[in-house]
Amino acid sequence: MTAEEKKGIARAKEIYQDRALRAKELKAEGKQVMGYFCLYPVLEVLTAFDIAPFRILGDMKEPITKADACLPTVVCPFVRSAFDLGLKGRYDFFDGVVMCHSCDIGEKASHIWRIYLDPSYYHFLDTPHTVHKAAQEQFKGQLEDFIKTLESFTGKELSTDKLKEAVEIYNRQRALVRELYDLNKSDPPLVSGTEIIEIMVALMSIPVDEGNDLLKQVITEAKERSDGPQKKPYRLLVWGSVIDNTALIEMIESVGANVVMDDTCVGSRAYFPVVETTDDPLDGLAYRYLVELKCPRTFWEAEYGETKKDYIKDLDSRFGYVKDYIKEWDVNGVILQSVRYCDIHGYEVPGIGDYLNHNSLPNIYIEHDYSEGALAPLRTRVQAFLELIG
Amino acid sequence: MTKAVIINGDGKTCSSIIGPTGPEHRRLANKVMEDALRQANLSFEEISCVIATGYGRINVPFADRQITELTCHAKGVASFFPTARTAIDIGGQDAKGLKIKNGKLVDFVMNDRCAAGTGRFLEILVDTLGLKIEELGNTSLKSTKKVQISNTCTVFAQMEVMTHLSQGTPLPDIVAGLHDAIATRVVRMAKKLKIEPDVVFTGGVAKNIGMVNALKDNLGLEVLVPDEPLLTGALGAAILGKELTLKALAEGKPIHEKERRLEEATFFQAESN
Repeated sequence: MTAEEKKGIARAKEIYQDRALRAKELKAEGKQVMGYFCLYPVLEVLTAFDIAPFRILGDMKEPITKADACLPTVVCPFVRSAFDLGLKGRYDFFDGVVMCHSCDIGEKASHIWRIYLDPSYYHFLDTPHTVHKAAQEQFKGQLEDFIKTLESFTGKELSTDKLKEAVEIYNRQRALVRELYDLNKSDPPLVSGTEIIEIMVALMSIPVDEGNDLLKQVITEAKERSDGPQKKPYRLLVWGSVIDNTALIEMIESVGANVVMDDTCVGSRAYFPVVETTDDPLDGLAYRYLVELKCPRTFWEAEYGETKKDYIKDLDSRFGYVKDYIKEWDVNGVILQSVRYCDIHGYEVPGIGDYLNHNSLPNIYIEHDYSEGALAPLRTRVQAFLELIG
Repeated sequence: MTKAVIINGDGKTCSSIIGPTGPEHRRLANKVMEDALRQANLSFEEISCVIATGYGRINVPFADRQITELTCHAKGVASFFPTARTAIDIGGQDAKGLKIKNGKLVDFVMNDRCAAGTGRFLEILVDTLGLKIEELGNTSLKSTKKVQISNTCTVFAQMEVMTHLSQGTPLPDIVAGLHDAIATRVVRMAKKLKIEPDVVFTGGVAKNIGMVNALKDNLGLEVLVPDEPLLTGALGAAILGKELTLKALAEGKPIHEKERRLEEATFFQAESN
């Protein structure tokens, strides 16, 4: 604790720049910190065991050198980067890791992580890719198994009250994130897209209660500040695969647009769905994590088994929420982006593209290499897209 | 290449210059501008509006505005061929497909990650073939049986070309194969736009008659080529400059948002400030 302790947006930036800053302090205080991959490991469970969850992310600034000895180069560079950081010891402070079947590469990389990094606690959460009743039941069963492994690792029994408390505090965080995003419905937005990334990354690097305090500071600061984003003619929504680095959004915002909304997993996708209170908290948790989290790694259809019958109705059920965002945040252009080799987002692009075109919403698809240096050619595409919106 | 086009109020071209870009982009932008002014017999102060475009658009300190080459190309193409609905531009370092409606860009695709499918592919391979770039078109016309060359990688294609040479395959058949390789790749990309006629082919590569034919074959459509396909983007920029000037005058607004000066820029000037 120093006299010049940073607060709000500056504090978020500080943690964004040195993600392990707080986690290492917690470790020094004797707390346990556990890494988790993707959005599916249920954070409430870890928190109920007094374990601080820490999201495993990559680093666009760090060239991938070690991971290429273990993984092929024609797979998701985000996963390669995250694993590369693991191999380089960036995540050595973890007491364990919780992986999941995010996508095929995420699954395989998890097992490789286990072999190469040999964490003292390792759990692989088998996450179904469909959302019907049987899948929800199966996922709930997986959560029960997950809890058992944590009970044996910590020597503690999970208390239902603590789990309910955790649900409540995470729901508070989700409400605060929504409040923060709501500030960007104004024109100009009160928080830049770049700052949103810094704040979201920070939230995924500190315990939930500290995250809630940070969010409260950020919201107050954003409402009062005079140095917020400038008014610009374009208000964009960025959809797609993980963005955990500010470079891409900075590039978009540097060519005359404000990124006012996102549908990505270090953003609204991770925080907008809340957990319903259920008698058995695992019911609400299983439903929220499997059904409510809207990532293309999961397959949805308007009605089970009826995908082909009415394409637009099906698209509406899958992407209607994006249309709502566009309306509520007064968005005039959508950037569909994906990291190269991301199958799940790549295969989703035709659907969401058709849906946006059907609704006359300007959109462009860009693909990037998860590398800061390779962004320059994308600048021309984004700028031309803005010129095309007019 | 760095190009400059100056047009007057009637849209008539007063001067057009093409110069090699070299490593010092800013200095060359100045030089090309000075040459263009000299050719048109104008002073810099007489220019109402300067639009910079292309990869180097941020390196033109004396420009009023930067507009991407996609928008500028579409404008330039529409000025030559008002009936154009699709444009394919193959330059030295990228290939673009443009969809045009009512003289404006409405959609685009772009390949700028790989030399295969651009003019650079041919520039690299001419050495292996012992030909000059200007000779490729006519050489390919003599082909009787073009060979298949893969278009995924320039370096691999070069190895394939060497294999063909060592097997004694006639040069025209290899060159025709190379043209076909580029055309297949570019057409595959452009098809994402749902190609509609008229199709216009621009960029330096459009000067190559063999490439024009290969593109026609791959598209199954007639292809229009402007007299000076290298200048389409610069001309489009000039036309947009004229439109912006007329709009500003009509609205009673100043044309220049900032003061412009044409003077020798030092390399990386912005960084040293």
